[in-house]
Amino acid sequence: MSLYKIKKATNCIIESVPAHKILEALGIRKGVNVRVLIRQPFGGPVVIRVGQRDIAVSHEYAKQITVKEVV
Amino acid sequence: MHCRDNREEIHRTGEIPRILLIGNPNVGKSVIFSKLTGHEVMASNYAGTTVSYSSGKAKLYGKQAVITDVPGMYSLEATSSAEEVALNLLNAGADTVICVLDATNLERNLNFALQLKERGLPLVFALNLVDVAEQKGIYIDVLALQKELGFPVIPTVAVRNIGLAELMSKAFAAAAQPGNARKNHVLSSEERWKEVGRIIGIVQKVEHRHPTFWERLGDSMIMPFPGLLIAALVLAASLGVVVGGGKGLRAGLLLPLVNDFYVPFVSNLVSSFIPEGMIRNILIGDYGILIKSIEWPFALILPYVFLFYIVLSFLEDTGYLPRLGVLADGIMRRLGIQGGDLIPMMIGYGCAVPAILGTRAATTFKQRLIVSALVVLAVPCASQTGAFVALLGDQSVLVLLLVYFISLCVIFLSGMLLKRIVPGQSDTILIEVPNLLIPNTHALFKKMWIRIKHFMIEAGIPMLFGVAIAALVAETGVLVNFSKLMEPIVVNWLGLPGEASLSLILGVLRRELAVMPLLEMELSTVQLLIGSLVALFYMPCLTVLGVLIKEFGVRVAAAISVSTIIFALFFAGLINQAINLILSIV
Ligand SMILES: Nc1nc2c(ncn2[C@@H]2O[C@H](COP(=O)(O)OP(=O)(O)O)[C@@H](O)[C@H]2O)c(=O)[nH]1
Repeated sequence: MSLYKIKKATNCIIESVPAHKILEALGIRKGVNVRVLIRQPFGGPVVIRVGQRDIAVSHEYAKQITVKEVV
Repeated sequence: MHCRDNREEIHRTGEIPRILLIGNPNVGKSVIFSKLTGHEVMASNYAGTTVSYSSGKAKLYGKQAVITDVPGMYSLEATSSAEEVALNLLNAGADTVICVLDATNLERNLNFALQLKERGLPLVFALNLVDVAEQKGIYIDVLALQKELGFPVIPTVAVRNIGLAELMSKAFAAAAQPGNARKNHVLSSEERWKEVGRIIGIVQKVEHRHPTFWERLGDSMIMPFPGLLIAALVLAASLGVVVGGGKGLRAGLLLPLVNDFYVPFVSNLVSSFIPEGMIRNILIGDYGILIKSIEWPFALILPYVFLFYIVLSFLEDTGYLPRLGVLADGIMRRLGIQGGDLIPMMIGYGCAVPAILGTRAATTFKQRLIVSALVVLAVPCASQTGAFVALLGDQSVLVLLLVYFISLCVIFLSGMLLKRIVPGQSDTILIEVPNLLIPNTHALFKKMWIRIKHFMIEAGIPMLFGVAIAALVAETGVLVNFSKLMEPIVVNWLGLPGEASLSLILGVLRRELAVMPLLEMELSTVQLLIGSLVALFYMPCLTVLGVLIKEFGVRVAAAISVSTIIFALFFAGLINQAINLILSIV
């Protein structure tokens, strides 16, 4: 499922990430745990928590990132 | 940020080692640099503080080194013009490279560290922000990390000067014995992350803590609710401090000082030596040099600039601005820019120069251009805000609010237009939300001091020039002739008194000087509004013009200047005509 569609506060694992230097450098990569903190209205970004950090990711990027829920 | 341009040539001499200071954005490099070199550079709590490099000499136990503060970078690939600068510096080589690691975010920083190691650079690591890490329950085994990395690792708390002397002595030691570093096998990105994971497993322990009050506050600031409420409160409080505080300072302290002591004193002094006539008028007349050169900058402008920078510096150091950017992104996208560009725009409310330089952290040319153009066109700088409050604050607060409201509308509309006409692409938002920190008072005051000093130097001299020109053209009759020439525009189209053409002359020098002459005229409310609008949208000041030329070339700079002048005169006149039309009907 795309990261943009995932429900708030669900723990997920990233399955695939588009090739992008900053995404990678920010630690957003395959196999990492993420949680969506908030989805901003008006086409704004989702804010995700990766490790110890919060990162705002535009919906364009978020839609290209696929994740899997962890149960 | 504007202090970064006093670049010193870095010479490669046998004795003085060259040290580069590098790391991810927002890890404390600027703080370390200014502590080590005594240079005054500004640090801020968001990515992109350092957008061009600065160098300085550091001394320790009689030894010297040239240290260069490299713009922050996420990886060894350039994605913005600031990162390009960084890569070039790195490629030029150095005797030692100090890599600053953020202890609150070790995983990602280690990835960068490993990339540096692969390059075979002679490294020393500073593990910074260990105080914040401990608050968050993150503990790092420094010795184990040192063993894994194969280079010295020194824990530091840069803002409190902890660990920096040891860092320097390790850096000197590393520079003294070159050849310590060898090129490592270059890992694939996947292998590198695996290696990072392995090291993290050995060196880092994270104790689960309940989020602190600050962490919870930081999180709630990016929720639409209560985030937007907090944003409204923060902006209202900021405005209150700047406008209310500024008025208080002026009324309670500065105006009495100038009007009751300085002006009578100087007037009497000059009158007793110089007979009535042109020279006396130039000195102490309506635009008297000796009067206005003190009254304008100190009594009218400085209090606002001072208070504005207190507020801005505070917001910068807490890490609030990127959070505001996240909230505003949805709107800013419509202007061809994004939430990350909010910071240079906010800085523009202080001065357009650092705002334009700050856009270097933006990843595309289109964004840089749009932000710069919007700031130059419609964002009033702190001096101009001071002038507006002086002009409008007492008689018509509503007009003051209206001016700012119109400014926002124009930013919005011209942004939507620029989005369509500027060629190229804009990147969508992808920014890190920094830790919410309680600002370090020492660092805060230092930053304030740099900015105020800069203002005094940058603004004081042109303002003096402006005052001198005003006095000369007013007293020699040049103004009368120029006003006649401009009559069709100034009087007929804008509905201002002929004398107001002085604003158009002085406005070239500085933005607030386009407002100041209006203070000396008896204007109606409509005229106050129109005069303010002309001044607001009028061309960038000379310094800003210089920066525009440097950053974007003569053509773009000229295009921006000419279009802002035309827009200012056209738009303000249009409003004037519209108001007159409405008034004549009613
Ligand atoms: N508490 C704490 N704050 C720090 C430390 N080092 C830097 N800071 C703050 O972290 C923020 C980022 O620092 P800065 O030097 O601008 O980072 P740069 O982007 O790497 O140059 C600033 O607000 C600093 O005041 C530290 O060791 N402890």
